[in-house]
Amino acid sequence: MTEDAPKTLLYENGAEGKICLTNILGNLMVETRKIRSRKRVILSVLSVIVVLGGWFVLTTVLRWVPPAFLPPPQNILTDFFRLLNKSYVGHTLIGHTLVSLQIVLGGFFLAVLIGIPLGIMMGWFKRIEAIVDPMFQLLRPIPPLAWIPLSLLWFGIGISSKIFVIWLSAFVPCVINAYTGIRLTEPLLVKAALGLGVKRQWDLLREVAIPSALPVILGGVRIGLGSAWMTLVAAELLASDAGLGYMMQMARRALEPSIIILGMLIIGILGAIMARGLQMLEKRICPWVMDKER
Amino acid sequence: MSMKAFGPQFLERIYREKVVLSLSSVLGFIFCWYLITDVLGLIPALFLPSPEKVFFTIYEKIFIPVGQSTLFGHVGVSLLRILVGTTIALCLAIPLGILMGWYEDLDSVMTPIIEVLRPIPPIAWIPLAILWFGIGLGSKVFIIGIGVFFPTLINTYMGVKFVDPILIKAAQTLGAKDKDVLREVILPASVPLIVAGIRIGIGLGMMCLVAAEMVAASSGLGFLIMLGGDNLKPELSITGMILIGIMGLLADTLILAVEKKVVYWKKESQNG
Amino acid sequence: MQQDKIFADHVSVAYEKDDESLLAVDDVTLSIQEGEFVVIVGPSGCGKTTFMNTLAGLVKPIRGKVFMDGKQITGPSAERGVVFQQFALFPWKTVFENVEFGLKYRGIPKDERREIVRKYIRMVKLEGFENSFPHELSGGMKQRVAIARVYANMPQILLMDEPFGALDAQTRTIMQEDLSEMFMMEKRTVVFITHSVDEAIYLGDRVIIMTARPGKFKKIINVTADCLIPNRRNLGYDDVVNLKAFRDLKRELWGLIKAEIVEKRIL
Repeated sequence: MTEDAPKTLLYENGAEGKICLTNILGNLMVETRKIRSRKRVILSVLSVIVVLGGWFVLTTVLRWVPPAFLPPPQNILTDFFRLLNKSYVGHTLIGHTLVSLQIVLGGFFLAVLIGIPLGIMMGWFKRIEAIVDPMFQLLRPIPPLAWIPLSLLWFGIGISSKIFVIWLSAFVPCVINAYTGIRLTEPLLVKAALGLGVKRQWDLLREVAIPSALPVILGGVRIGLGSAWMTLVAAELLASDAGLGYMMQMARRALEPSIIILGMLIIGILGAIMARGLQMLEKRICPWVMDKER
Repeated sequence: MSMKAFGPQFLERIYREKVVLSLSSVLGFIFCWYLITDVLGLIPALFLPSPEKVFFTIYEKIFIPVGQSTLFGHVGVSLLRILVGTTIALCLAIPLGILMGWYEDLDSVMTPIIEVLRPIPPIAWIPLAILWFGIGLGSKVFIIGIGVFFPTLINTYMGVKFVDPILIKAAQTLGAKDKDVLREVILPASVPLIVAGIRIGIGLGMMCLVAAEMVAASSGLGFLIMLGGDNLKPELSITGMILIGIMGLLADTLILAVEKKVVYWKKESQNG
Repeated sequence: MQQDKIFADHVSVAYEKDDESLLAVDDVTLSIQEGEFVVIVGPSGCGKTTFMNTLAGLVKPIRGKVFMDGKQITGPSAERGVVFQQFALFPWKTVFENVEFGLKYRGIPKDERREIVRKYIRMVKLEGFENSFPHELSGGMKQRVAIARVYANMPQILLMDEPFGALDAQTRTIMQEDLSEMFMMEKRTVVFITHSVDEAIYLGDRVIIMTARPGKFKKIINVTADCLIPNRRNLGYDDVVNLKAFRDLKRELWGLIKAEIVEKRIL
């Protein structure tokens, strides 16, 4: 953050003088970028085709790879359509997905709701930091999914034990980023606000520290979501009677790798969609953050 | 009015109070734990064992085996798995990342595949890995490797790709050829990001280790944690959690130390 | 005698760096009259900024007291607005919201606030940029916003800490002329810090030369009263720089500063 100042300085000095030159250079670069990007698209498409084609040829045409090891790609598609309305180990594909989503979102929102205010308080009030931080440092190195057995013991095998573990996994990044974000508040901006007549701590926190920490806080929310998603899979693999992880575990026992891969793909796609959604939300909430800083 | 009392904490510097508060917080935490379990007996040992019971379990299991081996054995197995998995992943991820950052065509070819695989949490590979490699060392190494691979690859790629262009121009105008630029400018400049990626990767790898050992293993710290839950011996789970926490902390400290050594030219490495 | 607007009475200020206490300002006494434009010049790290932070109430002196209108300064206040070298605009607020900021805390009703903000955005020539975010503006424009933000807050004293230090030479000259114009339009008491001798002589009614750290006052020159034609604020920068009185004064001041830099080896 503090390193930013000289950079902007460099950029601004003489920015006007460069306009003509950069325009010309810019046009040239746009041209070459167009050519490059076309080549890029072709190569990318080719690469996907080659991988999928190779997969198909190896499993279906040449049959070098047994389907119990790696199923042909089309099997995954047919399984997808088959499980859309046919129940597999208790639920349809949509049913399992909804169970998983419910747990992830439940734990995640609880984590955001509790974690961000706690992190902000830790960043702002020295005493709260001194009390909470050491315990936090003590518990932080333990991977959240290592809590699964204890959580099962405490909350039973139902939904609450999973929500607890997922809450824990998303909670940690939310707190840490909120805390760091507040601590990174530019002291100059605090000085400016004080000099403009802000008198109460609360106003300083509300007007200066929280907005300046917001991009960092949202980054923590995004990490938290990813972490929650991963922990969910572990929890469902270990102890569950529904959900995508459970479905995959059962498919492993039944030696149906196509359903495992189907589960992996759905988990990946949903995770990517949620991350993307959060990114868009970030852009909405923090319009002042330039793209290059994201 | 004292001006020092005004404004957030970074405008002031008072240490002693902080130390006292921090210490009392940790001690208070352990004391409360002791109080509700041992002294008042509010929580049955089946739910939460007392701190002394955990302590004695750790002590005892150093000599008496749990499952197939003693505590040292489990730690050793976990350590071996993470070391092998990490080494393989780093050997693949760093060169691939550098090449992808340097050769645009390779970048175009690899990026779509990586973008499809990357969002899949490494833990979701566990069932497939077991199917492919059985429940031995192979499946654990594979899963840990996936955990370490992606963050390292992405950071290496970014590090190479986003070297300050002015440095490259400076080197070129001073007479450096392409391969000199790669060796003299791009590699050193991207080291901080690569190390940061390794750090994230190993953190993730630890998680994968625990998960893989919890799902299917008969040794290792994850197995210990799971066993404690299955046999209603939470002190065993807590033992495993403490040890894995210490292992993670040590790994992190080690990487930070390496980072400081390797990135000596940066004034302050931005950890956090 | 008329009461001083600002009176610094044997002020010493220290600051902490790496757990070490350094004396930044050493036993400085200064009185500033209402409506005066005082410029402080000195080599880098001479405690100019620390002294200004003391006037602002952001730093507490270890010895001595600072008074404003006879009342001791104990903390930051909207009575003394500060313009920082690094602009210190709130990046999450638009130009309009930045200028409006201090007014909200003075409890001014919304309609009135809008009028005031409009007026000062016009004064700094930024009409049309009300809804831009700071990152969309050039350095000079950012500093214009910062100046409007402080002016709109109606402080009795303007403290400007190298406000044009981060700008290129061309922008800087224009900003100096505009500031001079603003100063004539709305007379406030100004304390201005700079590295530039030209800027000091062009803008200041009184110029104070500071020594290298620990900062003391080496010399105080009454530019308006003693040295230059008093109506130089009506002239452009170019015209003033070419006056003989200006050149003589510049040579003298630069000699003093250069001696300080060479002597204390702060090259």
